[in-house]
Amino acid sequence: MITQLGERGGDLVERADVCVIGSGGGGAVAAAELAAAGRSVVVLEQGHHWTAKDFTQREDEMLPRLFEEAGMRQTSDGSVQVLQGRCVGGSTVHNLCYAFRTPAPILRMWREEHGLPELADDVLAASFARVERHLKVKPIREDEVNSLNRIVRAGAEKLGYSGFVTKHNREGCVQAGYCILGCSYDAKQSMLITYVPRADAAGARIYADARAERIEAEGGRVRRVLGSVVDTRGERRGGLEVTAPVVVLAAGAVNSPDLLLRSGLGGPQVGRNLHLHPTVTVAGFFDEELHAYRGIPQSYYIDEFIDLERDPHRGYVLMPIVGFPALTASLLPGFGREHFRHMRDYSKMAGLLVLLHDQSQGRVENGASPAQPRISYGLEPDDARQLAEGLVHCAEVLFAGGARRVLVPFEPEPLLLAPGDDLAAITRHGVRQGGIAIASTHPQSTCRMADDPSRGVVNAWGEAFDARGLFVADMSVFPTSLGAPPQITTAALADRTAHHILARWPELAA
Amino acid sequence: MPTSRRGFLRLLGSGAALGALARIPAVPPAARAAARPTAGAAFFQPDETEILTRVVERMVDTGEPGAPRVADTGAIRTIDALCASLDPVLTRPLPLLLRLVEWGPVLFDFTFTRFTRMGDAERDASLRAWMTSRLRLRRQGFRALRNLAMLGWYSQEESWAALGYAGPLLGRGGER
Repeated sequence: MITQLGERGGDLVERADVCVIGSGGGGAVAAAELAAAGRSVVVLEQGHHWTAKDFTQREDEMLPRLFEEAGMRQTSDGSVQVLQGRCVGGSTVHNLCYAFRTPAPILRMWREEHGLPELADDVLAASFARVERHLKVKPIREDEVNSLNRIVRAGAEKLGYSGFVTKHNREGCVQAGYCILGCSYDAKQSMLITYVPRADAAGARIYADARAERIEAEGGRVRRVLGSVVDTRGERRGGLEVTAPVVVLAAGAVNSPDLLLRSGLGGPQVGRNLHLHPTVTVAGFFDEELHAYRGIPQSYYIDEFIDLERDPHRGYVLMPIVGFPALTASLLPGFGREHFRHMRDYSKMAGLLVLLHDQSQGRVENGASPAQPRISYGLEPDDARQLAEGLVHCAEVLFAGGARRVLVPFEPEPLLLAPGDDLAAITRHGVRQGGIAIASTHPQSTCRMADDPSRGVVNAWGEAFDARGLFVADMSVFPTSLGAPPQITTAALADRTAHHILARWPELAA
Repeated sequence: MPTSRRGFLRLLGSGAALGALARIPAVPPAARAAARPTAGAAFFQPDETEILTRVVERMVDTGEPGAPRVADTGAIRTIDALCASLDPVLTRPLPLLLRLVEWGPVLFDFTFTRFTRMGDAERDASLRAWMTSRLRLRRQGFRALRNLAMLGWYSQEESWAALGYAGPLLGRGGER
C-alpha cells in the first residue's frame, strides 16, 4: 500500500524487517526484491506520490513536484545546477531512459584499483538481466529516432565519429517528448510503474511524505530510523519512527551522505569523493523548424571521445538534449532582448551536451536544514580542458548536421559562431565554473564502496563499515565516476545488495 | 576567500544594515497604489511584488511589437505560487534580495534612484551590474531572479507563440 502521509498528518510508528529510505533507482529495487522474498519492508520517501494523471507537461507545475528544490538545487557557489528527483520513483520519473550496463573496463578498474574483487562480471550478470527484464529494456527502433537525434547522428557520421542508437526502458512510447516532466502515458518504465508496484504487490508498506532525519545504531548495529511526516512544502506534520534490524539507505548521492552525517554514521569518508558527471551544452540553430522537443529526447550517443579500455579514468560523451521553454531560457546567458534573440528561434534549436567522466571531486556536508545540504565541487584543470574540447566537438557536430549558427552559452557574453568560424575560440575562452551553465543529473560516489574504511563508507556489498545492517544502495556507492548513464548500474547494484541481504538474513535478523 | 551561497544567505538574514533595510517599505506608497493587484498572492508582499514585476519585465523583454505585457499574464502569480510551495528554508532570502535590487542602484552604483523609479534603460543597466558584478553573491542573486523570471514567463501560454512552441499535448490541469 502506498500512503500519502502528508495529506493525513499525524505520527507514524512502524516495525519491519527492513526499512528502505528512498524509492528511486536503488531503493525501489531493493524494496521489491526484499519484499518479494518475504521480508516485511517499510519504504520511506520524502517526496510525494505523483502519478501519470498528475503529469501535466507544464514546467511550472512539474518542476516543483518532481525535483529537489524545484529544479534549482545548486552547488554552494552556484556554479553547478544539480537536478535530482523528489517523489515516489525518484529521479527515474524524470530521467530520459538511457539504459546502459556498467562498462566492463569500469568494473575491472573498480575490482583492480579499488580492491573490490566481489564486483565480478558473472555475479552482476544475473542482476543486470533481472533489472533489464523488469524495466523492459530494449533498443530504440529506427522510426523512433526524432529530428534532434537524426541531426546529431548525421553530423557525427559526416565527421566519422563513433556513435550509436541506444537501448531504453520504454514500452508503448507515444513519443510526446515530455519525459523530463514525468511520463503522462505510463510508457516510461520508471520505478514508479515497475519496481514500486512490485514492492507494493509483495506487501511493502510504502510511505510518501516521510522524511528520514536520523538513523540510530546501538552496539555497532543499526536499530531504527527517526524522522518527520512532511507536507509537499517539506513542513513537518508529524513524527515517524521505524524500528528494523536492516536499513537500506537509497536517498541519492546528496541526501544519503547528508543523512549519514546527521546520524554520526559512515566514518570519515562520508560525503567526500563526490563526482557529478558535469555537463555543458551548446545550442545549434537551423533554418527549418525542428520542434526538437517532440519525440524521444535522447536516443543517439556519441562515444568517440571516451575510450575506457585505454584509460578508464577520463573522457567524455556527447548526448542530444532538449529543454522546454523555461529550462532552455534558464540555460541561455543574458536577459532581455539579447536573450530573446536566441529564444525566438526555440523551435529551430537543437542542443548537444558534453557529459564528462570526471576525476574532479567535491563534497556533501550538512546544511542548515535537510532541505538544503551543502554541495561543493571544483573542476580540475584537466576536466575543464576536456569540457572545452567537448564544446568544440559539439559545435562541429551541429555544423556538420546543418546548423546555421551555434551558441556557446558563456556568461556573461555568449560566443556565437557561424559555419567556417575558428572553433578554437572555444578552447581559447575555456570552461570555468561560473563562466558557463554547468548541470549535473548524476551525482555519485559520496558513500563509495571500498576495501577499507579509510577509503570508503561501505564494503563491496554496500554495507556500512561502522554499522552492521546498514546498507547503501544508490549512486553514492560508485567507487568512481561511472562514465556512462547510471540507471542500470544503480538498479543492478541495489538488486545485488538486496540478494546479499537475503542470503545473510538469519545473521542480520539475529 | 570567496563567500559561499550560504554565507550570502546568512548575510541576507542577519546583516544589521540589511536587516534595517528589510523593515522599511520597498516601494513608495504612490507606486504601491499603482501596482497591479495580485489576487491570491501567497508569498510576496505587495511592495515586493511590485519590484519582482519590474525585474521580470526587463528579464523577459522581447522588444517585439504586440508582445504580451508581463502584468497581463499569470507570470508573477506563477512565481509567487512556486515560492509559496517550496520549503521556507529555500525561499526565505528572496524578499530581502528584492529589496536589495530595489536599493541596489543606491547601495552599489551610487545613484539616487531606486530600481522601480528608473526607466527601462536604467533598469537594464542596474540588472547588468548585478549580472556582471565582481561579487559572486550578486551574480548568484541575479541568477536566482533570472531563473524565477524565466520559469514564470516561459510557462505562460502567451509567451509560446513568439517561440514557435506548440505547447503541451494535454490541456491545462492535465486534461486529456
